[in-house]
Amino acid sequence: MKAKDLMIPLQEYLTPDHTLKEAADILRIARRGEEKIGVKALPVLDSKGKLIGILSIGDILKAVYPKYMYLMELGSFTWDGMVEALAQKMANRKVSDLMTKMVITVKEDSPIMECIDHMLKHNVKRVPVLNGENRVVGMLYEKDVFYYITEFMTNSKSEAHDNE
Amino acid sequence: MNETFASTQPFVMDTAFWVATAIFLIAYAIIVSEKIHKTVVAIFAASLMIVLKILEQHEAFHIEELGVDWNVIFLLISMMIIINLMRPSGIFEYIAIKSAKLGKGEPFRIMAIFAVVVAVLSALLDNVTTVLLITPVTLFIADALEVDPIPYLLSCALASNIGGTATLIGDPPNIMIASKASLTFMDFIYNLAPIVVILMPIYILTIKLIWGNKLKTSEIQKQRIMEMDERGALKDPVMMKKSLFVLALVLTGFIFHGILHLQPATIALFGAGLLLLLSMTHDPHHILAEVEWPTIFFFIGLFIIVGGIAKVGLIKLMSLQMLDLTQGNMFATSMVIIWFSAFASAIVDNIPYVATMNPLVIDMAKQLWPNLSGLQLLHHPDLLPVWWSLALGACLGGNGSAIGASANVIVIGISEKAGNKISFLKFMAYGMPIMIITVAIATVYVWLRYYVLQI
Repeated sequence: MKAKDLMIPLQEYLTPDHTLKEAADILRIARRGEEKIGVKALPVLDSKGKLIGILSIGDILKAVYPKYMYLMELGSFTWDGMVEALAQKMANRKVSDLMTKMVITVKEDSPIMECIDHMLKHNVKRVPVLNGENRVVGMLYEKDVFYYITEFMTNSKSEAHDNE
Repeated sequence: MNETFASTQPFVMDTAFWVATAIFLIAYAIIVSEKIHKTVVAIFAASLMIVLKILEQHEAFHIEELGVDWNVIFLLISMMIIINLMRPSGIFEYIAIKSAKLGKGEPFRIMAIFAVVVAVLSALLDNVTTVLLITPVTLFIADALEVDPIPYLLSCALASNIGGTATLIGDPPNIMIASKASLTFMDFIYNLAPIVVILMPIYILTIKLIWGNKLKTSEIQKQRIMEMDERGALKDPVMMKKSLFVLALVLTGFIFHGILHLQPATIALFGAGLLLLLSMTHDPHHILAEVEWPTIFFFIGLFIIVGGIAKVGLIKLMSLQMLDLTQGNMFATSMVIIWFSAFASAIVDNIPYVATMNPLVIDMAKQLWPNLSGLQLLHHPDLLPVWWSLALGACLGGNGSAIGASANVIVIGISEKAGNKISFLKFMAYGMPIMIITVAIATVYVWLRYYVLQI
């Protein structure tokens, strides 16, 4: 079983010039497979279709979280309206300023264990899948890997059998 | 006069002299340019001094006059361990929130109180630690008040350099001077604390004139501050009590270290060991890992680089130039040193500057009083004001530019990460005038106290 067999083919993506507000709208309605439930992250592609980053809902939480709060324990002193004010302030910032630029990717033909290896070591829930020309062809989600694994736990399925 | 000194203490400008001088100049130039991290430059240049046989490894590692000053290194490491253990208790958040509330949410009042708190903490801990702990809270308070955070950040950095001047442990230049000149904690309190007490109100008046009327906020924002409950910060009251006990013990130890015949590094190491024991930690790894090793290795590298140029005679050459300039007049020497130190520290960072100046002052003293040695030489009544001038110039000079003191570098770094860039020129626009004002007052103090009143 390879990455391409479990990935969801790429449908939506973001561009670096999208504002955070636009990106949030796309994230909220983007399709994940056949279900219209929104996604937790989308790849960011430049005008030539090259992968330059990924924007997750974690990045949007980080956008309203002041950097200095990482340095001291100030969480219990925050005031009502702090998040809301920062959200309004950040609404028009560009995706390129806030996306995660170091993206962990896998190849279409990467074995599933390699994908798990990346997910666990880098603590990511999803990885863009690249083809031979380094284009994003899909997204591999933790959840789909989970479904795949559990098939073997519950049905004692073997991969050999699966391939038939 | 110069000829007499030169003929009694000859030295040769051989290959070793030029090699060591080149390593020193190139290393300092790269440190100033910030093209390569200063710690990397210092370690590499220090290793070159040994590889090229300017210094023997034994001299670099084990000879106090030429190599690493372990007194400084262990004092810094031990204080960092104590702070790293104290930090999670929440004591620093408590102090900062409490201070902001004392200011009743008034923007300038908070700024002034923060300046005093930072100055006091900088005197008792070191500057870098203090600003590392206070800068994030400063940004937080400025956000709560919806005022420009930059004046608060600048004020914190400037106040920490002024406050740190007051004590032996307050600022790295003082730690280095104390070790080389065998001066005690109480010597620093007696000679430098009074001028800092004079400078602080003047500093606060100055920042009031600069920023006092520009900081405006409304009742809603003031209320945010007043509603914060500082007691919520105290995550670990037991550890807080243990840390405060050890810190009090260490400070008491510093006060009496002269009488006890224990070096400050010994007192601090004891405090670090005791607090590690009391914390009952099973994992000292992360506490030790959080020691600022780049700073420690920067010091180690600098000591060896300066050891190299001391051995080949460059320091002697510079001290002869200094004597030539001042004609052996000690008042003139003090005046030249305080002002030269201030501007030099603004340009090159006061740590490498003082590392170079310490042996230079000692060498100059050897030229002036060739028959004296040990404490008689280091504590010669005419030399003491020179040490204090060096300390005042180097510590207060740190305010002159963004790279003048480590505290400035830290504040600017945190500020930039939080999205408030403070440019080199912006820092200088405030730092330089405040440096000149404080050094001018310190000059009057040195003149009046040591040369007019002679107390």
